[in-house]
Amino acid sequence: MKQKYAITVDDLTVAYNYKPVLWDIDLAIPESVLMCIVGPNGAGKSTLIKAILGIIKPIAGTVSIFGKSYKQQRSLVAYVPQKGSVDWDFPTTALDVVMMGTYGSLGWIKRPGQKEKKASLEALEKVGMLPFKNRQISQLSGGQQQRIFLARALVQNASIYFMDEPFQGVDATTEKAIINILKELRKAGKTVVVVHHDLQTVPEYFDWVTFLNVKKIATGPVKDIFNDDNLTKTYGINYKVSVQE
Amino acid sequence: MNSAQITIQIIVALVAVACAIPGTFLVLRKMSLISDAISHSILLGIVIGFFIVGDTSSPLLIVLAAFAGIVTVFLVEFIQKTGLVKEDTAIGLVFPALFSIGVILIAKNANDVHLDIDSVMVGDLSLAPFDPLLINCTEGIADSCINLGPKAIWVIGTILVITLVLLFAFFKELKVSTFDAGLAAALGFSPVIMHYGLMTVSSITIVGAFDAVGPILVVALMIAPAATAYLFTKDLKKMLVLACFFGVFSAISGYWLAHLLDASISGSMTTVLAILFLLVYEPIITSIVIGLATTTSVIFYQYYQQLLTETGFAQFALSEKISRVFAEFVLLDYVTIMLVGGVCAVLLIYILPKRGVIYGYYKVRQQKTEIMLLVFLLHIRNHTEESERHVKHLNEHINWQRLRSDSVVELALKNNMITVDNDIISLTEKGEEFTEKAIDYIITNKDTEIEEMKDDFFLFRG
Ligand SMILES: Nc1ncnc2c1ncn2[C@@H]1O[C@H](COP(=O)(O)OP(=O)(O)OP(=O)(O)O)[C@@H](O)[C@H]1O
Ligand SMILES: [Mg+2]
Repeated sequence: MKQKYAITVDDLTVAYNYKPVLWDIDLAIPESVLMCIVGPNGAGKSTLIKAILGIIKPIAGTVSIFGKSYKQQRSLVAYVPQKGSVDWDFPTTALDVVMMGTYGSLGWIKRPGQKEKKASLEALEKVGMLPFKNRQISQLSGGQQQRIFLARALVQNASIYFMDEPFQGVDATTEKAIINILKELRKAGKTVVVVHHDLQTVPEYFDWVTFLNVKKIATGPVKDIFNDDNLTKTYGINYKVSVQE
Repeated sequence: MNSAQITIQIIVALVAVACAIPGTFLVLRKMSLISDAISHSILLGIVIGFFIVGDTSSPLLIVLAAFAGIVTVFLVEFIQKTGLVKEDTAIGLVFPALFSIGVILIAKNANDVHLDIDSVMVGDLSLAPFDPLLINCTEGIADSCINLGPKAIWVIGTILVITLVLLFAFFKELKVSTFDAGLAAALGFSPVIMHYGLMTVSSITIVGAFDAVGPILVVALMIAPAATAYLFTKDLKKMLVLACFFGVFSAISGYWLAHLLDASISGSMTTVLAILFLLVYEPIITSIVIGLATTTSVIFYQYYQQLLTETGFAQFALSEKISRVFAEFVLLDYVTIMLVGGVCAVLLIYILPKRGVIYGYYKVRQQKTEIMLLVFLLHIRNHTEESERHVKHLNEHINWQRLRSDSVVELALKNNMITVDNDIISLTEKGEEFTEKAIDYIITNKDTEIEEMKDDFFLFRG
């Protein structure tokens, strides 16, 4: 127990309508890693993140963030939900969505001011979306919407980032841009947890991986555990990826 | 207009605004149906309240009715959470049940008192001005009360004030929990609290408005203006303002329509709401349909009149009635027309700020400030000596008024283009890059490109 963990999950079980979708998950994610969660559709990846963030109440188990409960550490955590989980026809602008990232530090009732606006604009600039700041969000492309979400997480200025499929429907350039930002975050000592589907890019992008399919299959450094054996266990079929060293 | 007419219009305008605010969030949360459910199941609360106090005007009735609304929401969610049925089905299961229990209770126990379904369900606006709020009554002495004016205004007014206060206080929480409940939860703004808060406000509004305008109009006033506004704008604040405007507009014009056609007030208002929505949604087709429908009915009616005249049964000529309608419409009341016109003008300026004179002026000023900024950045870039880069002496060196140099420095700071250290200004990397590019464009005579480049660099415009 010497090592300092950013996130520890003990015996976590989550159910929807009394049907468990996550069984007895144990995880210990070290500080300052760029980790991906892989698993088939419906494996419970999004649910795991939501349970860690207290969005869904687990029926058993505990979660701690730097040794304390999520509620106490809320300000240290930023979250990018799966893109499809919100209504992009909502009447608001890109800048406004990014500003929502500042609401947590403001607390109840207080309104965002110039300081929050500036931070949000800087985040937009960082993801290359500044020219679109006043665009209505339904008029953004899928990749642009994803960048907006990323900017919203950046503006939270957290220690741990959770991102649910940030590469969903983005082109190669955007994917590179996003991964560079994530790598920068890790370099700055942040912990980044990403739900990821493209297995080919795992070794190139991430240094830590968790295999999940209702149960936890494996978790650890990519170079040690990202192999055909674990992939087959997770995806059920005989999986073959060529892992380049 | 007589004073009763004015009172009714004030009441419907207040109701419209009070409904439009929660209605906007219901529409955005795709929960329009729940307002329908609440508006019916509150009957049960009213009936139970009546049995407890034996009086239809007790405030307890309002409390219990609002509570019945919350219970509806809770039951709907409970059934939905079992995962056996979808939300709309759950709504369909809950409110008819609660409503029918209310109806049965009335039928069984309250036949002899004034609590018939008609008066509960339709609401009577034309009586509202004559139902005053009386206080300080001394028992046994007639006319000893202080008359505070129509009760409906007090009830709706109070609800509206509370709604507005809550809206201003919790605007950002409402927005984030409506747009992205997951993020709201992660940030610590419990979506459950926001949800039930909104439901409580909706229930209380429905209950308060219900007495005056009846449940159908309440639901129409909650949903239709917001749905119309949603088609109009992509900005939540504007959507709220527009929803209120559409609500008030339909309510008042519906009132006059009813007055002129001698029809039901609630019915006319609902009709106007529907037409307004259709006009925005599908303007051309709706206009054609309305035009055709009016023409056909006029032709038909005139033919009918002619028949009647020929057979000697004419009661009144339609053309006379129509011309009266138009005359009254035009002469309505110039105060009202000016008011409506004023509101329309303000709204137009508000909705269309990117066009027109005011925006043009604003744009020119903005460009001017930004050119100043560029001049200033060039100056800093070209001078290494500290005296030239001192905040306090800037105005002397570039020959600007104090005020202007201050505002330019501020703009540069806001955009992270400079840093100030010991009152000495230096360019940041970003400032360097911006200036360099701008010079390039100026040198190569591509000034227009600068405008586009600004989008990439400016966090805040001048
Ligand atoms: N709100 C809900 N109610 C009931 N069941 C749900 C709910 N959300 C998710 N589920 C179920 O829980 C399981 C896990 O869902 P989850 O969204 O966590 O999967 P995922 O691994 O993120 O999948 P994907 O790769 O498709 O995003 C699925 O079987 C899903 O059907
Ligand atoms: Mg998912």
